[in-house]
Amino acid sequence: MSAIPVTVLTGYLGAGKTTLLNRILSEPHGKRFAVIVNEFGEIGIDNDLVVGADQEVFEMNNGCICCTVRGDLIRIIGGLLKRKDAFDGILIETTGLADPAPVAQTFFVDPDVSKRTRMDGIVTVADARHLAQRLDDSHEAQEQIAFADVILLNKIDLVDEAGIVVLEHRIRSMNPFARIRRTERCSVALDEVIGLGAFDLDRVLAMEPGFLGEDDHEHDQSVTSVSLQEDRALDPAAFDQWFRTLIQVQGVDLLRYKGILSFKGSDRRTVVQGVHMLADSGNLSVWPAGLPRTSRFVLIGRNLDGGALRAGFAACVAP
Amino acid sequence: MNGSEGGTRLHPLERHMDAAAYVVSVKVNRAGSHAAAVLGDGAAWLIDLTDSSAAPAVVHAHDGACLALARDIDGNGFLTGGDDGKLRRIAPGQAAETLAEVKGRWIEHVDCCPRSRLRAYSAGRQVHLLDLSGHGSAPALDHPSTVGSLAFAPNGKRLAVAHYGGASLWWTGRPGPPSRLDWKGSHLGVLWHPDGTHLMTTLQESGLHGWRLRDKADMQMSGYATKVRSMGWTNRSRYLATGGAESVVCWPFFGGGPWQKQPLQLAGTAGGLITVVAPHPKEPVIAAGHDDGRLLIAPTDGTAPVAIAAPDGSPISALAWSDDGRHLLAGTEAGRLSWFPIPAGR
Repeated sequence: MSAIPVTVLTGYLGAGKTTLLNRILSEPHGKRFAVIVNEFGEIGIDNDLVVGADQEVFEMNNGCICCTVRGDLIRIIGGLLKRKDAFDGILIETTGLADPAPVAQTFFVDPDVSKRTRMDGIVTVADARHLAQRLDDSHEAQEQIAFADVILLNKIDLVDEAGIVVLEHRIRSMNPFARIRRTERCSVALDEVIGLGAFDLDRVLAMEPGFLGEDDHEHDQSVTSVSLQEDRALDPAAFDQWFRTLIQVQGVDLLRYKGILSFKGSDRRTVVQGVHMLADSGNLSVWPAGLPRTSRFVLIGRNLDGGALRAGFAACVAP
Repeated sequence: MNGSEGGTRLHPLERHMDAAAYVVSVKVNRAGSHAAAVLGDGAAWLIDLTDSSAAPAVVHAHDGACLALARDIDGNGFLTGGDDGKLRRIAPGQAAETLAEVKGRWIEHVDCCPRSRLRAYSAGRQVHLLDLSGHGSAPALDHPSTVGSLAFAPNGKRLAVAHYGGASLWWTGRPGPPSRLDWKGSHLGVLWHPDGTHLMTTLQESGLHGWRLRDKADMQMSGYATKVRSMGWTNRSRYLATGGAESVVCWPFFGGGPWQKQPLQLAGTAGGLITVVAPHPKEPVIAAGHDDGRLLIAPTDGTAPVAIAAPDGSPISALAWSDDGRHLLAGTEAGRLSWFPIPAGR
């Protein structure tokens, strides 16, 4: 049985999440989605697979301090999976004030949910008029940008070009992975938001983060990204030690990270990605012949000390 | 299948049916005349255990999926809860009736108690009680989080409700706040000791918790491979049998146990997982359903288990005995529904 893809829609109040949801549901794609919403009545589409969620965030009693999950999602998905061949995908709409981490972690931590579903992507809708203000005053708005795989910069008809460029630059400094799409009324092709495979390890290989210099972080903001790069092969034991310590000590601050690594003695590319303390890694395809084997590791988080991270990563170079 | 090996003999009338949808739960009514299986497609199948030639009666119970099944207060009927927010009663030869509806909610847990003549069902954080006539007999009972499970005490005087952070014990005969049994974590299942002396819960974080009610002494049972989704008492309540591991883990409740005692481990297969357990009500044997569809009958004396259903790849999702132990019903996620009559006088 193939795992059912799950798409999470986040965004601050009024940004246009419900517009996007209605758009996805009304497109003639022939797919059937189960929809988990936080408020009934906003969805204009007749769909008997709409379920109201209670947003119950639980701490996992497993010794991992930042490991919170959505208990209601475990319950609802367990119930939905009892239906036979009823749907092709699950859409989860979170409240405007929700932190996406517990939603994402639910799909890695719960054995029943992780066996039957897979996280496909996190889509964040941002109101171009108000995003700058939100990023200044809202912790949750920052998290929503930091966690996103795709960001719809919505309502661009209400902002001038210069304003949009500034916003895109600021988003890029916080989250170099995410694809940014400018939209009006969330008008976007369905394949830009569904079927992303953003949590698949082999998609990490396609990572083309916008690398930034130090001076690009002109905003005094708490969520930043750090891009690490190394042309010399790494020592697997040294990297393992450094990385484990990092996620133990700073897991709460690390929101998302992705890396493609070259280890001494291996011709394969090692890929790592994760959310807080939940990391996933694997050895993928062989490095292409004739190209430099450059390790790249990009971290998004709060209170990231770029200098210390660079020094720690550089110390993993194989002797 | 013939039962020349082992103590449990199966009847040649053993039947396998294709229900073609996830078997959510199966139960035998209190009279022992019919079994009900509720399915992920909203149907309930009623099987006449007195007539092996009769086709099952298929009742449309819910729009969507059935989520819960309980034996009603009387000998004949069953109550079902569904993701259409309805609580329904189904009974052989009678039209299905809707007893309650909670708009926009799922009815996920249902229990009934012949002693107190009450029915209880949960929708979200609330539990509602209904009397025999179908009237709500009390204001809704509120909980700090969504209800994980509920069960009446054997004497009917109390109702236990599992939720995040522990369980609440309500008096069914009088209003008033519940007493709380606190334990960190998300509590998903609840089971009373048949003597009403202990309360057990299953936890999200792979394990069990329990309380001896006289002094609220805690019990923690851990070491499971995954979430424990099934537990039951063996005959004379000697062991608490549980799923969630490679073998059936049975915690002794005698001789000072379960504290400081090692559990029995029965009917294991390497690399497999026990999904559902159903101890026989009268004999010291346990029906154990595996995640590959295999079904074993394991004696608690440790002698070799007998396979009564071969693996077909789909996990066993439901198991139930009749009260007299003469019928075993089993269902799988893929919709295989099996009925094993057990002859008398073994």
